[in-house]
Formats: sequence, structure tokens, C-alpha cells
Amino acid sequence: MGSYILRRLGYMAVTLLIVTILGYIIIELPPGSYVESEVERLRAQGGNLTQGQIDALYRRYGLDKPEYVRFWLWISAFVRGDFGQAFAYNLPVSQIIFDRLGLTLAFSLSSLVFSWVVAIAAGVYSATHRYTLPDYVIAVLQFIGLAVPNFLLALVLMVFAQNVFHMQVAGLFSSQYVDAPWSIAKVLDLLNHLWIPIIVIGASNTAWLSRVMRANLLDVLNMQYVQTARAKGLTENVVVWKHAFRNAIHPLIMVLGSSLPGIISGETIVAIVLNLPTTGPIYFNALIQKDMYLAGAFLVFLAIALLIGNLGADILLAWVDPRIRYE
Amino acid sequence: MENAVTSAPQLPSAVDEPVSEVGQLSQWTLIRMRFARNRLAMIGMVGLIFMYALVFLGPFVAPNEYTYQNQDYIFGGPSEFTFTGSDGSFGLFMYGTTSVLDSKAFKFIVTKDENMKLPVQLFVKGDPYTLLGVINTDVHLFGVDAASKQRVYLMGADSLGRDMFARTLIGGQISMTIGLVGVAISIVLGSVLGTTSGYFMGLADDVIQRIIEVISSFPTIPLWAALAAALPPISESFTALDRYFLITVVLSFVGWTGLARQLRAKVTAYRTSDFCQAAVAAGSTDRRIIFTHMLPNAASHIIVSAALSIPGMILGETALSFLGLGILPPMVSWGALLRDSQQVSVIIQYPWLLIPGVAVVIAVMLFSFLGDGLRDAVDPYSI
Amino acid sequence: MSDKPGPKAPEQDIVLRVNDLHTYFYTDLGISRALNGVSFDIPVGKVMGVVGESGCGKSVTALSIMRLLPKSSKIIKGDITYFRRPQHNGSAGASDQIKQKSENGQQGFWIDENAGKVQEIRLNDLDPMGPEMRHIRGAELAMIFQEPMTSLNPVYTIGDQISETIMLHQRVNKAEGLRRAIDILEKVGMSNPKLIVGNYPHQLSGGMRQRAMIAMGLSCHPAVLFADEPTTALDVTTEAQILDLMRDLQAQFGTTIVFITHNLGVVAQMCDSVSVMYLGRIIEQTSVDEIFYNPKHPYTSALLNSIPHIGSRSKERLQPIRGVVPDPYSKIVGCPFHPRCNAFMPGKCDKAMPAQTVISPGHNVRCFLYSDEVEE
Ligand SMILES: Nc1ncnc2c1ncn2[C@@H]1O[C@H](COP(=O)(O)OP(=O)(O)OP(=O)(O)O)[C@@H](O)[C@H]1O
Ligand SMILES: [Mg+2]
Repeated sequence: MGSYILRRLGYMAVTLLIVTILGYIIIELPPGSYVESEVERLRAQGGNLTQGQIDALYRRYGLDKPEYVRFWLWISAFVRGDFGQAFAYNLPVSQIIFDRLGLTLAFSLSSLVFSWVVAIAAGVYSATHRYTLPDYVIAVLQFIGLAVPNFLLALVLMVFAQNVFHMQVAGLFSSQYVDAPWSIAKVLDLLNHLWIPIIVIGASNTAWLSRVMRANLLDVLNMQYVQTARAKGLTENVVVWKHAFRNAIHPLIMVLGSSLPGIISGETIVAIVLNLPTTGPIYFNALIQKDMYLAGAFLVFLAIALLIGNLGADILLAWVDPRIRYE
Repeated sequence: MENAVTSAPQLPSAVDEPVSEVGQLSQWTLIRMRFARNRLAMIGMVGLIFMYALVFLGPFVAPNEYTYQNQDYIFGGPSEFTFTGSDGSFGLFMYGTTSVLDSKAFKFIVTKDENMKLPVQLFVKGDPYTLLGVINTDVHLFGVDAASKQRVYLMGADSLGRDMFARTLIGGQISMTIGLVGVAISIVLGSVLGTTSGYFMGLADDVIQRIIEVISSFPTIPLWAALAAALPPISESFTALDRYFLITVVLSFVGWTGLARQLRAKVTAYRTSDFCQAAVAAGSTDRRIIFTHMLPNAASHIIVSAALSIPGMILGETALSFLGLGILPPMVSWGALLRDSQQVSVIIQYPWLLIPGVAVVIAVMLFSFLGDGLRDAVDPYSI
Repeated sequence: MSDKPGPKAPEQDIVLRVNDLHTYFYTDLGISRALNGVSFDIPVGKVMGVVGESGCGKSVTALSIMRLLPKSSKIIKGDITYFRRPQHNGSAGASDQIKQKSENGQQGFWIDENAGKVQEIRLNDLDPMGPEMRHIRGAELAMIFQEPMTSLNPVYTIGDQISETIMLHQRVNKAEGLRRAIDILEKVGMSNPKLIVGNYPHQLSGGMRQRAMIAMGLSCHPAVLFADEPTTALDVTTEAQILDLMRDLQAQFGTTIVFITHNLGVVAQMCDSVSVMYLGRIIEQTSVDEIFYNPKHPYTSALLNSIPHIGSRSKERLQPIRGVVPDPYSKIVGCPFHPRCNAFMPGKCDKAMPAQTVISPGHNVRCFLYSDEVEE
């Protein structure tokens, strides 16, 4: 197990390096350098820069040096925690990034838990009640869940919440609580604002996972060892949950890694519609305004979060499946 | 994943039909048979044919030209219809509307005029347009007499008084083709890289696998968005069409990885299979083995995974354009149209602005029916 | 005659009686008539072989009796009667259940007054996943499956899987269950059972897995053990070891074994009596000696001619049975073997199905060569 994790860590280091290179390329991609845009931005703000200041900026970002040196400068600064300057906010990127990143991960993880719980329940139910009415209903919901863009779902649920419950669900708090000190009412208000993002972010993942779950469980239920378990005289519940489920969950953990990007993607875009103070709104704004240091740093951090998630999924898999553990 | 609806055991009906020809049918015939028996897949296929016809004949089907701005119909709702004319005659009539200034809210409000009933006619003359890039005409499938100064708005109008129905149809031309073009690019990239990696193994395989891993370790939409943000603004030298094409390239930048992975697995399996060993023993070249043995064998899988990745591409385009990073005005796509409905307050007042979203959902569902059906037909035992 | 087929033995000596069993599968391709009237009696403490080509319904017969058929299939017709002996009635698990049951005021189908007598239980009337059937399965009727590689759950240790059955039916705690699991593993000739209980299936060889399966099957001392081709997937040496082991254990425990195989050599080695199946029917049924020295049905003879046997002249050619088994979806008029039969009598064999007829004590056959009786 230890060597397995070590090997995975090694792979991860390589991937991480390439991820940062790709992140850097993306920062470099937009036409015109960021110094040009910064100069333009500063000029637009009325500051008149001297040629000396401009040259200093060029030197600061090493724009006079070849690509690989610049990459080295960027990456070494990155490792030291200096991610550059967010132009639009006139703040170091690091100041903007961390609490927002934390909230993004918090939403993503809650949605992940939500989608796992619902998907497992729905998947197991529909696999064990194949061709019954609830199975068809679940199938319809799955198709819808996969077909509705999440921002659209967010909009529809918001309209629904407003029209039916007269609730304003955008943001994390209702307006009267935003600056209020913490209280039970404020916590309740927060919870009221959390369910829509969590459902919306998790919806398509839930639909997808429950399909995977159903298909896998159906496969596993055809396995000889399930028959063996029945032949022992176990109840159907024990057969399904102890013998079949434990094997069917395994592909689900394997796709855990690949479902994370979708969830984080979903979070970033849903955050815009729901006005959540997470990475999404800042990230896309940064892209539109070509604030590439900010955007690049976010992108690389999201990728790192995903890599860690994948590692976690692999370890979980090894823990669940003895065949991998003893490899 | 087996299909939920169609493979239900048909209890008594099939009693006296021994199926004995099964063994003699070719692989493709079998696939076609299984596909044709899958009701959802057929719905998907027929529905998509219908939708493509609708969007490409859009300028003809819609009563208005999609860019026509009607100052008297700003945020006007869907037209209302009745079956009895003012003279009591039977037929389909549209109520006329008038636009009045609400002095309190200081905006124009479109109100129904109960007394104005205009007969809806087929093949009426209206805004001129070019159909399918060649036919110049001004005949629309249906509408009301142009002389009445009234227009039919099946799905209401947007903030500039443009016909949402026409815009949804025209937007479909982009949204429903972007996935196809994206998938075509993905197929080329995925086949080449997947086959290379599976067939030659070694260093090429390592490098390609690593690239795939890196690309899939980015969250898709943010990555797409970053790439799309790198596209230059629309200008003389960089037309909207160029942008459209490059957006498809951006979408397939992520899309090819899935296909490459699957193909690699297939090709690795084929490499050790008898027919391939036989070909090697017979002295076939690598190229010959790949093109005459492996790709034809993997063709069905390529088609399936292509079909299954179209919905993701459509949703991706929608999300990008919704964010303002994909298709930009004056081009329209479903996502770009949905940009008008970012505010809940707007949707609550003018819910018809969400109609392009309904179109997205329907198109994506039909594509997934089709894709699932193809997959079940090709390989009934896969997940 | 046809209503009471099978070697007639006094009921006291019978543990399982199957009468006119029909099991159909409902599939996309139509109805597959897997069993079309299977009848046999299994005498207590004997080994009955079931032979036949692949697809003739051997496994389905065992699964029908165990009530383990998939949902797509159904027992259309027929009876399965299990004659429960007192020692099984009194087995630890069962008696606990009886007490619980009568306290609940529910009508237990095993009633205390019956202790000491042989009880008749009609398995086909029980709910396949209901409590009665579950108490019988694993404890009184056990089954070993065709593929040892896939019969064990990959994510649990061997010890967990064997002790699970023991804990379930003998009402003991985990430690005791594990102890008994080690015992039984030792009995099936597993070296170092203490280590094996902690192993996962993928760490064991095919032969060891099959031993583990046998241990699991025998762990509650069942009345009948169905062994569905337990050695097909193994190499010849291992096969011989496993067969020896089963023979030994059978002698030791007195378990009745239904030994399903397509290998007549294995039958000769293992079994007391044999049922030959063809397309969902038993076409000949008799003792092992009779089958080898006095086969009656043309199919049995053909089957025997298709395998080499020691002592045959080397020049003698093996004769494969011509043609192939018809698929079970089509309905064949007449004897299902007639298209492949060397003794085919036109106008007779292709018109009606011969009935199962006793031609000498303990020997019955379905063939118009021996009787004109027709199955209704
Ligand atoms: N799950 C199933 N679905 C449909 N048909 C089935 C199923 N299981 C068995 N059958 C049908 O029942 C018939 C008998 O199958 P069975 O498994 O009993 O054969 P068998 O005699 O055990 O053969 P083998 O020696 O290959 O194990 C087969 O012809 C098959 O068509
Ligand atoms: Mg079998």
C-alpha cells in the first residue's frame, strides 16, 4: 500500500509539472502581453507611465528574456507563493485566491457528497427494481439531469424559489444577514441558501453516477459470487448490500477522479448565476478582462485540487479493492 | 449500460418466433437491427432529423427575420391566438397588439388588442432572407398579412423586439453544428493519437498518456474558457466564422482525450488478437495493419464514443457562450441567446427568454438517446 | 406409467423428488424452453450424476431446485419435493428458528411434532427469497458452482465468506464461525488453513478456490450438495484431487451429492447412478454400471462412443455425434434427438415424444425402441 501511494505520488509530481507548464502557456496565449494590457490599464486609469516604469515592468516579468527563463521565473515565484498581481483588483493574486478557492472546494465537496448519496440510492433502487415504474421515472430524471445545463437549472430553481417560497436565494446570505453577526437565524439563512447550489452543482453528476451505479450493480448482480451468496441462504438485502454493492461501488470510485472536474466546472459557472463568492465569477471575469495572472493561478490551483482529489480516489480504491492493494 | 426501456423481456409475444438467423447476420446488420428495435434511439434519430430540418429551414419557418428589431414589440410576449374571427368565421386568428408607454415604469408595454383579429396565413410575404445560402426569397411558412403592420411572435421577443422563435432557430444552426464539427475534429485527433499510443506503445504511448492525463486534470469549462479567452476579438481579419471554427477546436481540445483512451484500449487488445498476429506473420506493414485491420474493427466504437460526446460539446458551447466567451454577437447560438436571461428578475418578467434553454435540453436529450442507442446496438454488454 | 417415473425407491430412502419440471426463460429472442419435464428421485446418501451436452439444462435443473433462477425465468410446471430428515430438522439454526417462529404465532411449515419423522417440503411452493427457502438454502441444500474463479467474492477473505454461512445457519459468533471455517478448510485438505482464512480469493489458485467452495458448501453439513461441474475449469491433476476429496467427504459426511458434469469418465469415478439429459429432458436414467455396459438410448450410446475408453482397440475410431444440439428456442415435434439419431424411425420419432418408461428395475429410458408409450 505504501509503495503504491509513493508510485502514485511520483506520477502526480510529473503531471503537476506539466499542468503548470500548460497553465503558463495559457497565461501567455492571449494576444498582446500582460504588460501591454497593464500599461494600457494604468493609462486608462489616468496614470501616465514613463518609459522607465514600463521597462521596469518588463524587467519585473522578465519579458526581455527567453520563454523558458520566463517560465522559470513564474514557476519559482509561484512556488514561493507570489502568483503575480491581479490588475483589476490591484491586489496580489494570492490575496484574492484563497478564501474563494476554499469556498469553491467546500461547495464542490458538498455537492459531491450529495450526488454520491442520491446516486447510490437511486442506482441501487433502479437496479434492483428493473423495469418497474420507479426505474423508468429515475431513467427519465437521469436523462433530464444530464441534458439541462447547470446554469439553466440554477435559473429555473431560483425562479421557482422566488415564486413559490418567496425566497431570494442568490448569494450566501439574505441581504439583512450579510453584515449581521453570527446567530442561529443567520445559520438557518445560510443553509437556506446552500441547498440550491448544492443540488444544481451536483445534478448532472448525480444523474451520471446513478446510471453508472445501476449499470454496474446490474453487472455485478449477474456475477457468480452473488449467486454463491444467495445459495448460502442470505437475505436479498445482505446479498445486494454486502456482496454486490461492495463490488459495484468500485467503478464508482474509479470515476470519482473523473467526476471532480465536472463538479468544479459546474461550480464555477453556477456561482456566476447564483452570485456566490467563489472562484467562478472572478475567474471568468479575469478571462474576459485578460487578467491572466489571476486566471492562470486559479486554473493551476483548480488542477492541483483535482490532482489531489484523484490521488484520494486512487487510495480509496486501493482500500476498497484488495486486488489493487496487494498488487 | 443496457437500455432501460427497450430490452424489457417481452413475455408472451415472441412465443412462436424462433430466431435462428441470428448467427448468419453480419456485424453491421446486427447493429442496425438492434438499433432499429430501440425505441428511444429511434426517437432520438427522427427527432434530430426533424430539428436539423427545422433550424436550417429556420428563416423560412419563422415568420420574421431574426435580426429584425420591432420597436413596438420590445419584450413582447408570445402572440395569442383564437379560432373565431371578428365576423364569427372559423379559422386561426392572431390577436393584434399595441404598445403603450407606461409612464410610471417608463417603459413600453405590449398589450393585446381584443378587437384586432388577424387571420394566420400560409406562405405569406415578409422580411427578405437567404435560405441555405442560395435561395433569395421573402416567403415565410406562415404569418399574418404584412399590410396589417402586425407580426406573429410564437415565442415572444427580446429586449430589442427581435423574434425569439426566429433567433432560437438560427441559433440552433450554430449550436447544433458546433458539436458535430467539434466531434469530427476530436475523432481525427483521438483516432490518430489513440491508435499511435496503443499500437506503438513505448515512448509515444507514455507521452500521449501523460498529455491526456494533464488535460483531463483540468476542470473542463474553466479550461475551455481560458482557451476561448485567448482567441482574438472579431475583426476584418478574424471573422465570426473563424471564431466559430476555433471554438470547435477549443471544444475538441478536451473532447479527443476520451476517444483516444478508448481507442488505445481497443488497439492494445487487438494487437494481441489472432487476426492481428496473423497479419504480422504474413508480413503486413504497420500502416496496413492499422488501416485495414484495426480502424475498421474499432469503427463502431469510434462512432459510439463520438455520438456520446456530442451532448457534452453542445453543453460546453452553451456554457461558454452564456459566459460571453464563446459565440459572440452578432452571431447567435443558444448559449449566446441565454445571456439575456442571466437575471432572475428578467426571467420572472419575460420567461420566454429561457426558450433557447429548452431547445438545448431537447437537443442534448435526443443526442443522448441516439448515442445510448448506438452504444447498446454496437456492444449490448458494455456499461 | 409416465406419471411415476424414476427408479422406484421407498420414500424413506429419497431425499429429493423432482417431477415433470418445466422451466422456461423469457428472453429478447423469445422463450427458451430450458427444462421440458425433468423427473427423478435422488436416494439418500448416494451420488447421482447428471450428464449431457452443454446447454441441455443441467445447471438450470440444479438452480430450479435451489430456487435460484434469475428473474427472467419461471418454473412453469412440476413439483420439487424435499424430504427433510430429522437430523436436519433438529439442526441448531433451524430449531432456533422454529421457536422464534412459533412465538410470533406464525405458522411454521416445520412443526415440532414432526420431529423424528421425515417431512415433505414442496420447494416449488416456497417464496424463493422467503425465510423458509433461505433456511433450507446453504444449510440443507448447498451448491457449488461451475467456475471457481468467479464463485468467490473478490473483496472478502475466504474466512469471512465461509464463516458467513456458518454464522447464519448455526447461530454462532464470529470467532466460533471462523474456528469452524478453519476446521472445515482442514477437512477439505487445505494446507495451512489458518493462513488461508485471511486470504482473498485472488491470492488462491483455482484448485484452492474450488476447495474453499467445497468447504463452504459442506460447512453446514447439508442434506444435498449440488456440484455443478466443480472440476471443469481445473487441470487434470487438480481435478483428480478434487474428485478424490469429494468422494472421501461424501463417505465421511454421508451427504447426498448431485454431480453435474459432461464428462462420463468423471461419472464412472464418482457416481452411483446417472441421469442423461438431452434438451431439457432426462432421456435415460440408471445405475453407473448399466450406463456403461448396457446403455439403451441411442443418445447415451452415441455419447459413450464419442469418448475414448481404456481397453478399446486403438484402431477404433471415436464417433462424434453428428449434427448439433438444436437451440432451445424452437419447438421440436417428436423426440428432440430424432434429427441426430441413428435409429430414427420416420413417422414415429418425429411425430410424438416417447414417455419415460421403466425397462428393468432401476433403469428407465425415453425411446420408442423400447416402448410405444407416448408422453401426453
Ligand atoms: N440466464 C439465462 N437466460 C436465458 N436462457 C438461459 C439462461 N440460463 C440458461 N438458459 C438456457 O437454458 C438452457 C440450459 O442451460 P444450462 O445452463 O442449464 O446448460 P448446462 O447443461 O448447464 O450447460 P453447460 O454444460 O454449458 O453448463 C440453455 O440452452 C440456455 O439457452
Ligand atoms: Mg451449466
